[in-house]
Amino acid sequence: MNEPAIYGLMAEFDSADEIVAAARRTHAAGYRKIDAYSPYPVEELWEAIGFHHNRVALVVLIGGIIGCMTGYGLQYWVANIAYPTNIGGRPFHSWPSFMIVTFELTILFSVLSAVFGMLALNGLPLPYHPVFNVERFSRVTEDKFFLVVFSSDEKYNETETRAFLQSLGPKSIEEVPS
Amino acid sequence: MTTARSHEMNFLAPSVVRTIGTRSLVIGLIFAVLAIVGAFVRPGDFFHAYLLGFMDWLGVTLGALAFLMVRHVTGGTWGMVIQRIQIAAMRCLPLMMVLFIPILFGLPHLYIWARPLDTVADKHLREHLQEITQTYLNPHGFFIRAVIYFAIWAVLVFFLSKWSAEHDHPPMRDTSARTKQLSAPGLVIFALSIGFATIDWMMSITPGWISTMYPLIILIGELMSAMAFCIVIESILSRYEPMSTMLKPSFAHDHGKWTLAFVMVWAYFSFSQLLIMWAGNLPEEITYYYRRFNGGWGYVGLFLVVFQFAVPFCLLLSRPLKRDIRRLAFLAAWIMVMRWVDLYFMIEPNYSETFRLTWLDIVVAVAMGGLWLAFFCRNLASRPLLAAYDIHAQKVLEPVHGGH
Repeated sequence: MNEPAIYGLMAEFDSADEIVAAARRTHAAGYRKIDAYSPYPVEELWEAIGFHHNRVALVVLIGGIIGCMTGYGLQYWVANIAYPTNIGGRPFHSWPSFMIVTFELTILFSVLSAVFGMLALNGLPLPYHPVFNVERFSRVTEDKFFLVVFSSDEKYNETETRAFLQSLGPKSIEEVPS
Repeated sequence: MTTARSHEMNFLAPSVVRTIGTRSLVIGLIFAVLAIVGAFVRPGDFFHAYLLGFMDWLGVTLGALAFLMVRHVTGGTWGMVIQRIQIAAMRCLPLMMVLFIPILFGLPHLYIWARPLDTVADKHLREHLQEITQTYLNPHGFFIRAVIYFAIWAVLVFFLSKWSAEHDHPPMRDTSARTKQLSAPGLVIFALSIGFATIDWMMSITPGWISTMYPLIILIGELMSAMAFCIVIESILSRYEPMSTMLKPSFAHDHGKWTLAFVMVWAYFSFSQLLIMWAGNLPEEITYYYRRFNGGWGYVGLFLVVFQFAVPFCLLLSRPLKRDIRRLAFLAAWIMVMRWVDLYFMIEPNYSETFRLTWLDIVVAVAMGGLWLAFFCRNLASRPLLAAYDIHAQKVLEPVHGGH
């Protein structure tokens, strides 16, 4: 088996400020394949681990545009081509009346794209993840913050990385079996 | 610790404020002379333009007042950074009171109900006017109601301004309970008064036409004007102390979010009015849009849809843009121009079936804007840019932490 038996090294922190500082230093030290886990969203944390953009926004935009065109196109086709009906003397292409359905379908398609696009891009649902092999990790849903350096990182070296993480002053360091 | 820091700092407005004030005054006076010439040459055009300019700058004044009250009710550090800008803007109310007086002399030029009824050609309209001018829409009522509106706004401005000035001197105090007690009912009274004022000053241009959405469009437009104005001013001030220390990207971000919200609500209100009237298709309602879809006015409407809604909306979705005060300020300045276009689209088609833009429309708005800005700069320079002894203002000086 060429697969490394170690998934990575996990450092535990007590507060959001600590893990943000630690993540910044880890990123600055050249580690790129890192991830952080927190009990609630910490806005600065994703910047600190060097995570910039994801494609969910693009997926939502495309979904929204498709929904918008579907909604408008459907009504245009019905009112102008399939069943042209004179409603109170208004033009067949009665665009103000088309707006609500167009708007609703835009929202619907955007939301569905957001949900499924998010699931597709982050790989959920995920029945197994190595970080749960560490017993202390269950505290991540309560009050602890965890920083993981993956063993797949180019700079990863069992002893050096452990020493580096130790220098960040974590509460504990654990190996994550894969 | 923060207290000590705030006392070390000098919060006085930079000298650039006085420079802008002087230049605005010069521009305002030059254009005012042109406008006065126009008033004698083309009195009709002048008063149409005058109402347009007046509503535009009244919007910034009252929008600032409303925004200040919103912030007093909700709390939030985003509002402390621009609080003194809002107060300086709402303290322009006395100027707007003086500028309202010429409208009283132009009533027959502006409102059909102020003319002798024999001159009204339309029989149905004449009958309608005979009834309504006896009870509500007549010059006396117009004057008395205007006095009431201005009195309400003046009371709110006076107390909120006075209480804020008390924070310029020790001791450190928390008076948020008192401002909240005034602002909460103040917001309700303000919304009602601006609603009635809009009916009197703008909707009564076409007395047979009624829209319940119309005052709300004006109200939200005023809030949008005020927010855009604050962004422009804070951007200019952020090149100098103390605003360069006070203004953080997270505050600019919040102001950008407000602007995005107003752009959306404005579009929502404006479109709702169209949709309801389009669906009803009643002669007394749809005439408003019949005129605005034809005679070249439709292009102005389209321009509004694209540049007051679509483009600002798409740009404001961007997080980096909202956090960059310089770029945000350009957009805000553009929105202020579009506020004028929106009011122009509301007012001018009432007087002309075909597209018509006179030089006075622009000259009067610039003249009024110049005088208004000069008055604003005087107000802004007269007090520090941060109420140093307000306990809530201290948060502006704290470094931003993670989380919420």
